[in-house]
Amino acid sequence: MKRLFTRPSAVVAGLAAAALVLAGCSSSGGSQEEEAALDTPTYKIAMVTHGVAGDTFWDIVRKGAEAAATKSNIDFQYSAADETGEQATLVDNAIDQGVDGIALTLAKPDALKGVVKRANEAGIPVVAFNSGIEDWEEVGAMSYYGTDEHLAGTAFGKRLNDEGAKHALCVIQEQGHVALEARCQSLKESFDGKTTKVYVNGSDMTSVQSTLQAKLQSDSSIDYVVTLGAPFALTALGSAKSAGSDAKVATFDTNEQLVNKIKDGSVQFAVDQQPFLQGYLSIDAFWLYLSNGNFAGGSKEPVLTGPAFIDDSNIDDIAKFAANGTR
Amino acid sequence: MSDSTKPILELTDVGKSFGNIHALRDVSLSVRAGEVTCILGDNGAGKSTMIKIISGLYQHDTGSYHVCGEPMNCSSPRDALDCGIATVYQDLALVPLLPVWRNFFLGSELTIGPWPFRRLDVAAMRRIADDELQKMGIKVPDIDQPVDTLSGGQRQVVAIARAIHFGAKVLILDEPTAALGVKQSGVVLKYISAAREAGLGVIFITHNPHHAYLVGDHFVILRQGTLDLSSPRAELTLDDLTHHMAGGAELDALKHELKRIDAPDVGAVHEKHEQEIGS
Amino acid sequence: MATTKSPPRKPASPPSPETVPGGTPARVTQRSLARRFATRPEVGSLVGAVAVFALFFTVAVPFREFDSLSTVLYASSTIGIMAVGVSLLMIGGEFDLSAGVGVITSALAGGMFAYELSLNIWVAAALALGVSLLIGFLNGYLVVKTKLPSFLITLSMFLMLQGLNLAITRWVTGSVASPTISDMDGYASAQKVFSSTFTIGGVNVQITVLWWILFVALATWVLLRTKVGNWIYAAGGNADSARAVGVPVNYTKIGLFMTVAFMAWFVGMHNLFRFSTVQSGEGVGNELIYIAAAVIGGCALMGGWGTAIGAAIGALILGMAQQGVVYAGWNPDLFMFFIGATLLVAVVLNMWVRLRAQRR
Repeated sequence: MKRLFTRPSAVVAGLAAAALVLAGCSSSGGSQEEEAALDTPTYKIAMVTHGVAGDTFWDIVRKGAEAAATKSNIDFQYSAADETGEQATLVDNAIDQGVDGIALTLAKPDALKGVVKRANEAGIPVVAFNSGIEDWEEVGAMSYYGTDEHLAGTAFGKRLNDEGAKHALCVIQEQGHVALEARCQSLKESFDGKTTKVYVNGSDMTSVQSTLQAKLQSDSSIDYVVTLGAPFALTALGSAKSAGSDAKVATFDTNEQLVNKIKDGSVQFAVDQQPFLQGYLSIDAFWLYLSNGNFAGGSKEPVLTGPAFIDDSNIDDIAKFAANGTR
Repeated sequence: MSDSTKPILELTDVGKSFGNIHALRDVSLSVRAGEVTCILGDNGAGKSTMIKIISGLYQHDTGSYHVCGEPMNCSSPRDALDCGIATVYQDLALVPLLPVWRNFFLGSELTIGPWPFRRLDVAAMRRIADDELQKMGIKVPDIDQPVDTLSGGQRQVVAIARAIHFGAKVLILDEPTAALGVKQSGVVLKYISAAREAGLGVIFITHNPHHAYLVGDHFVILRQGTLDLSSPRAELTLDDLTHHMAGGAELDALKHELKRIDAPDVGAVHEKHEQEIGS
Repeated sequence: MATTKSPPRKPASPPSPETVPGGTPARVTQRSLARRFATRPEVGSLVGAVAVFALFFTVAVPFREFDSLSTVLYASSTIGIMAVGVSLLMIGGEFDLSAGVGVITSALAGGMFAYELSLNIWVAAALALGVSLLIGFLNGYLVVKTKLPSFLITLSMFLMLQGLNLAITRWVTGSVASPTISDMDGYASAQKVFSSTFTIGGVNVQITVLWWILFVALATWVLLRTKVGNWIYAAGGNADSARAVGVPVNYTKIGLFMTVAFMAWFVGMHNLFRFSTVQSGEGVGNELIYIAAAVIGGCALMGGWGTAIGAAIGALILGMAQQGVVYAGWNPDLFMFFIGATLLVAVVLNMWVRLRAQRR
């Protein structure tokens, strides 16, 4: 048995090592190339989000941030943890590294107050983005880029009124997520029809598929499925078909495939908070601040990146950029 | 049980070491058909190393190992089984939750049908297992019951019957009576003698000279990896065996020494002690 | 001559069957058919399944529709196909925590091979199968080689795959989801195999349900009627004993890990051809669902005991609980609570049935 296994194991180890090396190369290559590009002073900026690894939304945020970093000769570090405790540890880590600035999502503001204070004491400016529009000032961030979930939810609800919807199903892919709950809640408040909430397991698409199918079968009055993330809208289309439901699908946030679905008319519209812009602005803010002392929003007002509607009226313009994975 | 029959299994000056430790040195052993060879010895005397060499788990370093006159190159228990050497370990190599018949045929299942439809011949396996057990004189209430619902003695017998059925020429029993009470031990000893009558060579490992003497034809005592005694039954009494087992010559020397030194010393201590109390 | 001098021995005839040596009491006779049935590992879970079904049948009106049954079966099948492999592995005495992300690894691999190399979908699927089997082999090989608990080995594999899924997808596609492949050669035929629907009596049923039944039947046959099945039980029940009687325990275990990997490939392909694109962060947490299905179905956590049918019933319970809560329209905030509570009831009932059966 020993003899038999020696060779495959060597091959396997080699393959695994090759895969790791290749994966490692691609992530470090970007920033190394950037450094030589400009001769303005190099800043090191860390971005710490609560994004789930592998979510297309956060990928676009990251691309925006990387675009800004390349343009402004910034040494950019991205890290993410969906547990608040881990996110705080990552911020601590950035502080210990002595970065020049930290861009942070405040999904759970109270839990991150401590680390933001520590960063400020260490003389590191902090920019909040994406989540925490209510609390960023109090927590101690110098500016905020993002949308207001309530604003977005309210706009969505009004749009549903215009569309003549009667019964909306709000699909939440992560239970207990403040921003997602806020979207559904605000939608419910501004929408004149009935709003029903359903939780799905966002990390298992087949389970999302069957849960939505079950929901649509059990209540045939649902005429609009509202998903809170682009991939779920795509799955909802399949669920509606399987359940024999005529419900239309609209969503918060977008990605490349979703833009195509809006184009071919199967998804009605999307409310976009422009993740690329969030990532870009929150990195660019440091360059402006560190090199020229500028504050966007005067450190008093949040800078809104949404809500922006994407529908058949403007889809052609957006589709071009979506193909690059940046919208 | 004559000495003239050719041994079916023969170790000559076999040695095995692990690093600096000589687990076994220059040990010779012959096992003949229809004979029970008892291997006795304390813990760490090299009994288990010896069984593992015989059953193919270990390779010996020095000496030779012949089966039926052929040099033995067992590199796995499977090879040893194919050579007709079956070992019944202390844990019996039974899988507790499996039914009796599945255990009986484990690793040597009977199948019917062409691949990929080759399947277990359940009916035949159940019938044969039941027959073989009846031949050994035990009747299992239900051949489908898990093995762990049998008594300790019954389980031993299942393991022995299995070895015999699969054409074992040499049956190695590793301390089969160690965990059993008197009555259950008696049951197992009966089957050992039944196996001998069936013409098998039996190697019976034990540290109980009384059990060994009840069934043994040839006795081997191991001490610190070397052969301390190798004697046919004819040249040995139970007392000799017990004596050897308990330490033999070493024990005599110790006894002598203790007699010489201890008696006066103990007395002196006592007297002194008494005086102290008295004063 | 030796015989003449040795002390008299009892004639070596074996004792007669009537004496029943070893002290088996004569009162233990043939076990009754009912009791035999009740001690089967899957019976407790069957009672649990019936209870859960009855519960939702009573409280949720839409649950009574055949369409709903089809949805429940679909949800159960995606858990159940994996549970087939996972239960076999657990019977063989090992765990696989990398099974959840393994599904996504396979789907991502299939999507990326097809798109990036412009391959026919079937070729890409075959390459993805290779990737999956390699992961399974690596899991098994490391477990038998290091003799470390499979819990640790596959936990490491789980975390590594989670990272590789993301990193390689990003590196290859520049995005975190696999590219859409729905317009490529062979997609339509692959979709027919892995993710199509057929109609029985006006009800649309996902093909995964059929595959699930097929895999369960196959696994049951292998377990109960083949050599390999015997080896699987033995490897999990007592690996040392099995090894001593010549069972190739290491090969069996590696084979089991590769079986799980095969199932992961299958479910991965279903994901790929159902949704045409796969997000690289999915799959996390599902490994516990698969293990739960196996355990609810009567697989022992320590190995050596269980059936594939039991695991299928476990998957059905989980599928019914997940969808039943939705059909019942219970407060969505308590969604997870209801699933947990349903499970708890099913598991306790399961144990109660088993204990009663043994005591009787």
